[in-house]
Amino acid sequence: MPSLTQSNIGGTPPIDPELPFGGRGDGDSGRGSPNDGSTRAASMTAMVVVMCASVMTFGALLSAMVIRRGLSHDWHKLPLPKILWYNTVALILSSILLDLARRMLRKNKRRYFNPLWTAGTVFGTLFLVGQFVAWEQLAVGGFYLAGNPSSAFFYVMTWAHAAHVVGALLAVYYVEFLALKYELGTRGRTWVSASTLFWHFLDLMWLGILALFVFWA
Amino acid sequence: MNLSHHRTVARLYFWLSLGSVLLGVLLSLVMRFHLVYPSTSVKLFQFLWPTRAQGGVMTPELYLSLLTLHGTVMVFFVLTLAPVNAFGNLMLPRQLGATHMAFPRLNLLSFWVSLASFFLLVGSVLTEDGGPLSGWTAYPPLSALGAITGPGEGLGQTLWFFSIAVFCIGALLSSINVIATVIDVRSPDMPLMQMPLAAWNWFITAILSLLSFPVLLAAGLLILLDRLAGTSFFIPTGLLIADYKSPHTGGSPLLWQHLFWFFGHPEVYIAILPGMGIVSTVLSAFSGRRIFGRRAMIFATMSIALLGLLVWGHHMFTSGLNPWSAIAFSVLTMAIGVPSAVKTFNWLATLWLARGNLRLTTPMLFALGFVSIFVTGGLSGLFLGQPNLDAYFHDTYFVVAHFHIIMGVAALFGIFAGTFYWFPLLFGKMLNETLGKVHFYLTFILSYATFLPMHFAGFAGNPRRYADFTSFDFLAPIIPLQKGITHAAFALAAVQVIFLFNLVWTLWRGSAAPENPWGTNPDNGEAY
Repeated sequence: MPSLTQSNIGGTPPIDPELPFGGRGDGDSGRGSPNDGSTRAASMTAMVVVMCASVMTFGALLSAMVIRRGLSHDWHKLPLPKILWYNTVALILSSILLDLARRMLRKNKRRYFNPLWTAGTVFGTLFLVGQFVAWEQLAVGGFYLAGNPSSAFFYVMTWAHAAHVVGALLAVYYVEFLALKYELGTRGRTWVSASTLFWHFLDLMWLGILALFVFWA
Repeated sequence: MNLSHHRTVARLYFWLSLGSVLLGVLLSLVMRFHLVYPSTSVKLFQFLWPTRAQGGVMTPELYLSLLTLHGTVMVFFVLTLAPVNAFGNLMLPRQLGATHMAFPRLNLLSFWVSLASFFLLVGSVLTEDGGPLSGWTAYPPLSALGAITGPGEGLGQTLWFFSIAVFCIGALLSSINVIATVIDVRSPDMPLMQMPLAAWNWFITAILSLLSFPVLLAAGLLILLDRLAGTSFFIPTGLLIADYKSPHTGGSPLLWQHLFWFFGHPEVYIAILPGMGIVSTVLSAFSGRRIFGRRAMIFATMSIALLGLLVWGHHMFTSGLNPWSAIAFSVLTMAIGVPSAVKTFNWLATLWLARGNLRLTTPMLFALGFVSIFVTGGLSGLFLGQPNLDAYFHDTYFVVAHFHIIMGVAALFGIFAGTFYWFPLLFGKMLNETLGKVHFYLTFILSYATFLPMHFAGFAGNPRRYADFTSFDFLAPIIPLQKGITHAAFALAAVQVIFLFNLVWTLWRGSAAPENPWGTNPDNGEAY
């Protein structure tokens, strides 16, 4: 491959014929996918970028909460439904199971993948169902979105988190679909890594939200 | 036809931005006319807005709704989309030694999302009550309370917020693509520091988008809840509007300003940084040498972006900011002058070292025009960055002059430079050079004729955002100046017909561009 020199900076660099899509290729196959050109490395980078965007979104909500609480005297502590703790256990369990599945796949212990991933998917779904129950219990207890700012921020943050969970669950279901059909190829494995990484991120985000409302809000 | 090909996506963004800029310019002409001839009856106004311009004279509310649409269309759909999404999509893979963006289908999706946002925005002005009145900054509490605050503040304002929220998602999808493309699809033989300056600017712009648009999205969602679900994030206690007492309690309008400007100031750099990259490319190409202090240019871009994230408070000097905070924001704002000066002097040094070899093609003229306008607009920023001066200038035409020059005209000159330079890559044809040069010289002169006198109107205390200031005695001496501005603005808009004719004629009848249309030397760091 002709090397890039100082002289042709700013222009059109040569394209390596060995890398037909111009990139570093897929981590598994050494090639980009001919379907849409995306690569494993690019997918993982995109996942990190998405996480940065989520951190900024929640950072904005958190700073809004800090300012809103500091500016007024109408803040009341929100009694958290007990089911949130069970939901937390379900989320962490799902994270552990999905990661175990990913590790088994990496070690070529393919037969362990499906049961572990399915179990992780079930616990992840349970978390989401549990969140709906928690919102229902809060509403029954008279804590609405339009009520005290503490409940307003609780709903906003948990809804935003749940929206992320729904997106992640779609990816996890997609992997489940591929895995059950035994079509977990190179792209499928990229989905496994990316969705597991994001699922761990959702754990951290949830623990942060929970800690915020338990200890501070 | 492969719609997700990066060049096709670039074209789609180009057309969306072109349509948006035409809409924005037409709106500005209507507003400029109304400002200086507020009681003149215009049949066209009555035809367009039968209920809000009865007798051909527009109401102040109609003026404010046009102001809102103009600002929103220009900031989001022209200055945000054209520099990064149109030219970035066109050139980034090519400059990085790749043939595609990292996620082509996601790339196309981000365009459709942006288009949906555009339609939501257009929908916001087509509601029964008309468009929202709150300007592109949509300050609460008036923007958060609903229809009680005026016509267009009901469904129109709600649709406006939805439009912005959807736009944020489109911008985020786009920034994911640019960042992943630069990091992972770049040729393995290209270290980051050897990446072309334009690519560096698109990369840093994408990072700025990534860090700022989520904050606007969060703020937009909170204000939508205030409007639709009865929450009180931004609406204070005991607000009385006409005979209506707001039931909201405890919210803070200042909170919106913090969140909005945390996005809003980086947005200025999202608009201008890609233009700087395009200018660096074009100046290098037509001066026949590498940009002087190339490494310093990269670090200056990084510094501008970093400082740009830390200076949102200078938009709030008159909002009741703690004076100590104001000093901190002021110092940081002034500090942006340093990397900006580094860039400017490096461009000038490049030109100086290449003297004798300069080729004054149309893109080169627009790049030179960019440097001039960037300096002019930057200098007025030094005034506004000081809290004591801003206290006087903040609500005057001085600010209108400043941001139109630095954010509007400078960025548009960058877009024009990119359009002329890369037109052969966009559409395979060359725009006419003679028409291009005539278009440049007239645009350059008339841009200054339109926006420079606004500084003087600002000195005289001429307030901005007013639909009619002709009845104020103290502004009577300024009215002839304002009329001059309006005439210059109409002339400036008329001159753009030359560009449109050039564009349409070239696409219709133009012959195919040669392989190296600008005759640049590919071995001399100036390749096309």
